[in-house]
Amino acid sequence: MTDPLGQQRPIDIKAQLQACRSKEDTFKTLVMLSKTQPRLTAEEKTEDNKIKGCESAVWLIIEEKDGLRHFKADSDAKLMRGVLVAILSLVKGKSLADIQQMDLKAELAELNLSSYLTSSRTNGVLAILDKITSH
Amino acid sequence: MVFDPTSLRPLFPILSQPAYDHPLVYLDNAATTQKPLWVLDAIQDYYRSFNANVHRGAHFLSDRATNRFEQARETVARFINAPLQSHVIWTKGATEAINTVAYGLEHLLEKGDEILITSLEHHANLVPWQQLAFRTGARLRVLPLTSKGEWEEEYARYFTDRTRIFAATQISNAIGTSTPLQVMLDLAKQQGAFTLVDGAQAVAHYPVDVQALDCDFYVFSGHKMYGPTGIGVLYGKNHALEVLMPYQTGGEMVRHVSHQATEFNVLPYRLEAGTPHIEGVIGLAAACDFLCTQDRLALLAWEQSLARHVYTRLHKAGGIELYSPEKNTTLVSLSVPNIHILDLNAYLDSQGVAVRAGSHCAHPLMAQLGVAGTLRASFACYNTMEEANRFCDVLLEAIDLLNEE
Ligand SMILES: Cc1ncc(COP(=O)(O)O)c(C=O)c1O
Repeated sequence: MTDPLGQQRPIDIKAQLQACRSKEDTFKTLVMLSKTQPRLTAEEKTEDNKIKGCESAVWLIIEEKDGLRHFKADSDAKLMRGVLVAILSLVKGKSLADIQQMDLKAELAELNLSSYLTSSRTNGVLAILDKITSH
Repeated sequence: MVFDPTSLRPLFPILSQPAYDHPLVYLDNAATTQKPLWVLDAIQDYYRSFNANVHRGAHFLSDRATNRFEQARETVARFINAPLQSHVIWTKGATEAINTVAYGLEHLLEKGDEILITSLEHHANLVPWQQLAFRTGARLRVLPLTSKGEWEEEYARYFTDRTRIFAATQISNAIGTSTPLQVMLDLAKQQGAFTLVDGAQAVAHYPVDVQALDCDFYVFSGHKMYGPTGIGVLYGKNHALEVLMPYQTGGEMVRHVSHQATEFNVLPYRLEAGTPHIEGVIGLAAACDFLCTQDRLALLAWEQSLARHVYTRLHKAGGIELYSPEKNTTLVSLSVPNIHILDLNAYLDSQGVAVRAGSHCAHPLMAQLGVAGTLRASFACYNTMEEANRFCDVLLEAIDLLNEE
């Protein structure tokens, strides 16, 4: 499994997660998704790029090109990398205005993810969503 | 005869439910234990048959509530062998008990005095002392461990004639290590320091005798010893409790109030402002009763055998860093190189196994051990050998799964 992130279409990720019938399935799917994302370099893992409020370390870099947002992310926990792949598949390549229109929490719930995350890690996810939707 | 934990299972109905599609395996007992029917029934009974405010009304229910409430104090006093029930102060937990002491002793501290703790402390027995030091200009000192989690030989030099307070945990919640309390308490007493023992992780496992320990203060939480949440105990020697300035004031703790002045009540009420957590007190006494009907040393031996079994299996499996002592502990604390503990935790959870991954409210200790956190499986009397093995099996499965690239 070495598909770069770009080749995983959102629909695939969504379908894969929605097909999960148990927590164990979701776990295994997230671990698999985690492998589809290139890791950040040590230089990219700055304090500035780090998201506060996550139990695991999470870094998120936002790049704007022609008014569209592109993301790079990493975490020291595999599962969180999988979650990041899922979240970013929803928003990548969209404009900030479009992203702000989305109900990301509801979309994550559709992916079976809200129940999967413990509340303390959900808080971490909220911090990620905040960064994704902010200027 | 070997202790049989299955004889206790019917007392803990919560444990017989499935978690997702798996049998629930509850190994997060150091965070909080489950409650036996003794406790659940006592709380129900309180609300069904004698709910009233205590020490106030002169009526049928209030008398009953007050009697049972004060009987509970006697039960807890006996449970820790406190000489007098007025030396048992109700708090909302170990945390509030420690804060009561930290604020209560503030008026006796001067700049340059020393407060000594150990590097094993839970934040609850660290932050209140650190903040007290900030407020008073006292100095917080920390008895170190070696990087292996063992005690340094030369800790005597940390006890000086400026040591005013020595506060130490009996057992580490994060790695299960016991402190050599008796030696340390003696050193502290030789310097005339107040001594506080954090028994939060001890009371569920060890018979506690505060007179034998001979500390000034002993604190614990009900919810870690099969009792309800929101109730805990501050035990103190008479002179030690008497010097505490009440850090909360209000009703119950007063004898006479005018707009000009207030005369405080006697112990234990002086340190118990406001309507107490009556149902919690009743529940805690029931938890003590439950434990007192058990052969406590047999329970302890069983819990230790579970921890030791897990330790031995995981040690043999290899590739796992174990932070808890090999023997005489009731928990196993570990990490696996290159695998995040939250990933391990998530897989264990998906299989119905409840453990704790994190820093266990002990950031400085984790820093000293050189890890961000550990995965902790902590045992209680109702855990079975199958559950211990299930934890090992699922953990090893998780490691395999997370290791493959
Ligand atoms: C050693 C130790 N001390 C203090 C506490 C604080 O207890 P509570 O949160 O019930 O006040 C804990 C709880 O985890 C503990 O393990």
